[in-house]
Amino acid sequence: MKVSKNELMASLKKAFEGLGFQPGDYHDAADMVVWLETHGFDGFDRLQAALAYLNTTAPNHAVLVQEDEHNAVLDGEDSSILLCGSEAIDLLVAQVMQGSVAGLQLNNCYNRTFILQRLVKAAQRNIAFIAYWRQEDYCVKVSVAAGAKLPEYKTFAMTEMLESQSLTVFAGTDLDVIAEQFAAQLVMGPLLETYTEAEMTACYLDSLEQGIEIDEALWQMLEDLVSRILVESTESSRAGAGD
Amino acid sequence: MDSALHSNQHSTGQQVGSDTQVLPLRPASQVMQLERLGSFHQSRLSFMRTLVRRMVSENWQITSPVFDLDEQGYGTVVYQVEAKYGTFSYVLFSHYLDPDNRNDRVIANQWDLTMALCEGTVDAEQLAFLRNNVPKQEAGRVDSRVLVLSRANRSARTFDYVVDELTEGRQPCIDVIAEVGYLYRTTAAYGSGKLGMADWEKVRTKHRDFARPFAAEMFTCFMLRHFSMQQADYLAAQRAPQTATVLHKEIKRYIGIGNSTGLGMAPFLINHPLLINQWIEMRETALARVVAASEVGVDEATLARLEAATQRVIQHLSEIVTADERQNNSNASVREELQLIHQWLQEQGAVLASNHYVWADLIQYAEQSCRIETQEVLNTLLIELYPELVDGLEELMDVEESMQVMPEMPVAQLQQIIEEKYDWALAIDFSQYESMGAFWYRSQEKMEPRLGQTNIDMGMEKEMPLAIGRRVRECYDLLCAYNQAHPQQNVAHFIVQSPTYSGIVSRIQTMAQSQYGEIRENLVHSDVLPIHLLRCKLSFFGVSKFDPRSRLWVRNTMFQGAPLISDFGKPFVDDWQFPIKPVLTSP
Repeated sequence: MKVSKNELMASLKKAFEGLGFQPGDYHDAADMVVWLETHGFDGFDRLQAALAYLNTTAPNHAVLVQEDEHNAVLDGEDSSILLCGSEAIDLLVAQVMQGSVAGLQLNNCYNRTFILQRLVKAAQRNIAFIAYWRQEDYCVKVSVAAGAKLPEYKTFAMTEMLESQSLTVFAGTDLDVIAEQFAAQLVMGPLLETYTEAEMTACYLDSLEQGIEIDEALWQMLEDLVSRILVESTESSRAGAGD
Repeated sequence: MDSALHSNQHSTGQQVGSDTQVLPLRPASQVMQLERLGSFHQSRLSFMRTLVRRMVSENWQITSPVFDLDEQGYGTVVYQVEAKYGTFSYVLFSHYLDPDNRNDRVIANQWDLTMALCEGTVDAEQLAFLRNNVPKQEAGRVDSRVLVLSRANRSARTFDYVVDELTEGRQPCIDVIAEVGYLYRTTAAYGSGKLGMADWEKVRTKHRDFARPFAAEMFTCFMLRHFSMQQADYLAAQRAPQTATVLHKEIKRYIGIGNSTGLGMAPFLINHPLLINQWIEMRETALARVVAASEVGVDEATLARLEAATQRVIQHLSEIVTADERQNNSNASVREELQLIHQWLQEQGAVLASNHYVWADLIQYAEQSCRIETQEVLNTLLIELYPELVDGLEELMDVEESMQVMPEMPVAQLQQIIEEKYDWALAIDFSQYESMGAFWYRSQEKMEPRLGQTNIDMGMEKEMPLAIGRRVRECYDLLCAYNQAHPQQNVAHFIVQSPTYSGIVSRIQTMAQSQYGEIRENLVHSDVLPIHLLRCKLSFFGVSKFDPRSRLWVRNTMFQGAPLISDFGKPFVDDWQFPIKPVLTSP
C-alpha cells in the first residue's frame, strides 16, 4: 500500500508516542524515519530493526561520559539513534558554535544510519559534518557541507578496526577544514559504493508524486502501536466530544 | 489539516509600513488571549475570500462532463475544472441516507454526499476506484492523485422545502433560507496527505492554483455549494418538468454551505504554532497598515463605506438564528455597540477628514467602550476598506513549520526567554485543582480528540500534550535548578541531563523568534472554552454565522453571499462578507 509523507509522519509520531517517547523525541524519530525512506536509505527496514528493540524496553537516552573543549564521548547504553541522535548532534553543534571544530563519539548505539537526517537538519545552521561508522563488514562515511540539503554517502571496505556499535562525528564551519583536520586521519579501504545526490533527489520526488510504498504488515504494526495511546470510547467520553 | 511552508521567515517583524508610516503591531499579550481569538471574524485574508477573488478574476471554467443522477438525485457527478494553471476533477457521489443515520460527528460512517478533488481528468478506471473508496471516507484509501476528500449531509430543515417550492414553481421564502443558510452541511474536508492523498508539499509545489493554505479544501466546499443548488434545481425539474422553476440568482448567492466543527480542529492550533503565528501576524499587519493609512485623516467616501459596512453587520447579526443564549446575547450586544460606533462616526465626521491617525482613535474608542467581539468586528471592517494595502499579504499566509533546538544558548538565557515570552504560563497556579481539571485525549473512535475531566474520566495517562503552559512551567522549574547548579552551562547540556524536555525547549526557542503563535491560555483548566479555538481557525477559513451547539462544537456557514460560478470572469466587488438577506429585484 502507499501512504503520503504527512500521513506517515503522523502515524510514526503517534506510534513512537505509543512506545513511550516524549514530544520532542517522537517528532525527531519520525523525521528520521521519513527522511531515510523518502531518500532511498531503506528507512522502513531500519525502522523494523529498531522496533524489535524499542518494543521491549523503556526509552532511554545517551549519557555524557567525557568532555573537553572540542571533544565529547557519549554512551548510548544500547539505545537507538532514534532516541539519542538528537541530543548527540545538539551537543556537537553547541561545541562548534562556541569554538570552530569539534568531535563526538557515541558508543553503544544502534540504527546509526538514522543520524543522516539529524546531520542534514543541523547543517542548515551552516555547520559541516563528517560522520563514519562500521556497518557489518564495511565502513560508512557521510559528509554534509554547511548548508547542504543532501549528504554525500559513501561506503568503503574496512581496513582498520572500528567499534562495532559506535558512531564518530566531526563538525565545523567548513567541510574542507574538518576533512583535513580530522577525517584525513581515517584509513579507509577501497571505495565500495557512492549513493549520489541525484539518486536521493529522484527518490524523494517520486515519493512526493506517487506516495510512499509501505508493507501492510509494517503499517499494521504502526497502527497497533498507535492504539496504545487511544482511550476506550464510552457514553461518558462521547460527552467530551460535544454529544 | 496539516500545512507546511516555504518561507524561512518566522516573522516579518513588528514594524510595518513605509518609512513615513511605521506603526507597531498589537502586542501578543492582547491578541493571543483565547477570548479575543474566539472573537475573530473573517477578513480579506481569509482563505475563502482569497479563493473567490482568484476564481473570479482568473475566470475558472467549470463544466460537468458527467452528470448522472437518477430521479431521486442519487448518482455520480464529475465537474471538470480549468483553473489558471491546471486541470482538476471534482468527483461527487450522491447516496440515499436513512435520516436516522444522518450524523455530523466524525464518528459517522454514512453521508448523503461524498466528494474528492483530483488532479487532472478522471478516466473510467479511476472513477471506479473512487466510487469504491470515496463513500467510505476514513475507512477507504485513495491515492496521491486526490487532493481533498470530503462529505456532506442534507439540511433536514431546508433541502426538501426548497425542492418542494421549486417544484411548485415558487421561490423559497427567504426567511426560511436565512434561518439555516444552506442546503447541505459538510462535516469534514481532509487534505494534506491523509488517507493516501497528495501531500501538502506536492500540492504547494505542483499545483499553483491551490498553493495557499486550505485553498483546495475551501474549493471543495465551494463546489459542494454549487452542486447543492444544481441538485435542487434538477430534482424540481424531474418532478414537474412543465411547472418547476429554478432558484433565483440572488437566492443562490445567499445560499452557502453549512459546516459543523468540533474538537478535532482544536489541537491543530496548538500543534502548528508557526503557522498560526503567520496567519495572525498577517492579519495584524493588515490592521497596522490600515491604521497607518489614516495618518492624515480619511476621505468622506471611505467614511461612508465604513458606515455602510457597519449597518450591514448590524443587519447580518440580527438575521442570525441560534439557540445558544450566550451567542444570542453577544450578537445583541455587538449590534448595540456597533450603533454606538456608528454614532461616534457621525458625531466626529466633520473632523475625521483631517484627524491624525483617525483609525487609531476609533480603535481606542472601541477598546474602551465595547466588548472584545465588537472590537474585532470593527478591526475586520477597517481591514476591508483598504484592499490595496491588504490583499498582497494573502501570498504570505504560509510558512515553513520547523522547530529547532539552539543548543549553544546559555541556560540562563533560556530561563530569561521563558520569563519574558511565557510570563502568561508562569502566572498560572498549577497547584490549583481547576488548573489541571481537564485533559485532552484521543478516542478509539476514529482517534477523535476529546476533552476529559481529571480524576473523573478515563485516559489521563494517555493525555495529548496540549498543555503547553504546564509543560513550560515544568521545564522552567527544572531549568532554574539546573542553572543554579551549573550556571555556565548551555542548553545542550541541560538536554543531555533532561532529554525528555527537548521538545518543549525547541518550541520555546523557536517561538521566541515569533510574535504570535502561542495561545495564552491554560488549555487544561476546568473551565476552558475550546469553542474559541475552533472559531479562531474558522475565521481564517472565512466562515460566518457562528451557531455554537455546546462549548465543544459549532455550526457555521461557508460561502454564504459569495459569487456563483456564473459570476466568474465578470466585474466583481469583493464585499460578500457578513451576508444579509437579498432583496429580489428581477427573475
